[in-house]
Amino acid sequence: MREPSTYTEAELIASCVRKDRTAQRVLYERYASKMYPVCVRFLGREDAKDVLQDGFLTVFDKIDTYKGDGSFEGWMRKIFVNASLMHLRKSDVLRRTEDIAEVPEAGGVLEHGVLEQIGSQEILNLVAELPAGLRSVFNLFVVEGYSHAEVGALLGITEQSSRSQLSRARSLLQEKIKKLYNGKKRI
Amino acid sequence: MERNEFDERLRDLLDGATETAPDVWEGIARGLDRRRMLVILRRFSVAAAAAAAMLAIALLVFRGPRTENQVVAPVETAQVSPVTIDEVPVAPIEEQIATFTQHQAVAQAKPVRTPVQPVAPAQPQPVVETPVAEEAPVADAPAETPAAVSAAQPAVVPVDEEAGKLGAEDLPADFWTADEASASRTRTHTSQISILSNLTTVSSEGGLFYKPGAMHSSSQSGKGGAYSLVEPVDSSPKFYMPLTFGLRVDFSLTDRLSIGTGLTYTYLVSRYDLLYNKVRYEDAYNQLHYVGIPLSLSYHFVQTRRVGVYASVAGAVEKCVSQRYVIGSETPKDAVRGVQWSTQAGVGVEFWFVPRVGIYFDPSLAYFFDNSQPLSIRTHQPLQAKLEAGFRFKI
Repeated sequence: MREPSTYTEAELIASCVRKDRTAQRVLYERYASKMYPVCVRFLGREDAKDVLQDGFLTVFDKIDTYKGDGSFEGWMRKIFVNASLMHLRKSDVLRRTEDIAEVPEAGGVLEHGVLEQIGSQEILNLVAELPAGLRSVFNLFVVEGYSHAEVGALLGITEQSSRSQLSRARSLLQEKIKKLYNGKKRI
Repeated sequence: MERNEFDERLRDLLDGATETAPDVWEGIARGLDRRRMLVILRRFSVAAAAAAAMLAIALLVFRGPRTENQVVAPVETAQVSPVTIDEVPVAPIEEQIATFTQHQAVAQAKPVRTPVQPVAPAQPQPVVETPVAEEAPVADAPAETPAAVSAAQPAVVPVDEEAGKLGAEDLPADFWTADEASASRTRTHTSQISILSNLTTVSSEGGLFYKPGAMHSSSQSGKGGAYSLVEPVDSSPKFYMPLTFGLRVDFSLTDRLSIGTGLTYTYLVSRYDLLYNKVRYEDAYNQLHYVGIPLSLSYHFVQTRRVGVYASVAGAVEKCVSQRYVIGSETPKDAVRGVQWSTQAGVGVEFWFVPRVGIYFDPSLAYFFDNSQPLSIRTHQPLQAKLEAGFRFKI
């Protein structure tokens, strides 16, 4: 068996197109730790494992359609984002909005320097704790760079709803970050 | 901290986030195995269904004429009509030869060698017809096969022996060659049943005849149907090779012209992103089932005992009888209005490896008109190179 680290990205892709099981395993091991947080951001840890598996199956199924336009990691990430959204739609989480109404509108502003004290793993956990609808809008708009119109189309909500949910998501996150920061200061 | 600054900081943190993933490789490997098995099963099912259909029709064709009650082909009735020697007014052989010479219908002197069309009974065939009927019972007289002819010959006075007795100078110069040529031509008269299947060029990557460009807008062909809840939004849809099966019957019009019609079934599968109830879904599947009636006109350039070459033009009308989407776990159906018109032209070659059974290949170019049909390879790539192939049976 070939040493996993000896595969270049192009070789790895070409081998996966040929359905080479060893290359598929190497690709999985190389990217799983990067794609798992994407699923966690959208779904929380409970469901992320299932979507990670489905996402890799889709990657291996569609890898022949990757033409080298843009980074391969970006292309893979799009697949995992889509897989996560599909999972949310299937479980009908996006239509349940009762938890969104309880979230206050944007309140206080986060002080400078607070975010420097928070690590990426902690932020990931905080985002994963958001209600599903807010989490999806936040991830799509802030992290994935979609416009409100695109977010609306992807989630089946209006552009206005996307805007207001993003605002609520920001407020909720700021509250959580403040609590985490204050807790750290006490320690 | 401003909103933009907050967003950028969070994006940086989340973009770079890594986390040891739970080991799901075993599940992925099982999923890959399952998919591979499904692909094999699907291919096997298609091949088995095609083989079963061909076998069933071949059995029908071969078994039909052997049972007395099932003799329906005009050629059989014409050749082995249950007459006795007493019922047929047999003219002296000299008179018969003279009649043949006058009409230049030399081929009729050996009717048992070639299949005869329904018009054959009107022609005089007294010389060899009667002895065959006398010697061979109706149901056991496969008069069209060379072996059967040779088996029946001892009972029949061979024509060439008779000619020898009369003297070759009494016959026209092209008596025997004309007979062979006529026999050859007669084969083009034979009507045929074809079992067909099609291979079609499919390319979403800029291959032959691919027309790059944006996908059809919702106001054009390619929309999901008249009352569609579905609208394709993907600019790079993927199409799978269409599967076509069918039956066609060809009837001879003249020595070289034949007209054909039949029934075809086509299965089209596409994969693209779409809006369903205004929600965007990635990689949904669309399955279309078409039933069609083709009409073709063929001109036969070459027709020998073993090989035939011809050119054909055809038109077809097809109706989508079922359209289904596979969107995640949902499988909504959608009605399709109207019909698909198409035209095609090509050349074909047929090989007769036994007297009544052959295979054929028809490479052709087909064009599918814009008839507001759902998005498929036909709307995306209206001009297609096709290869039709199948079995052909003389009837």
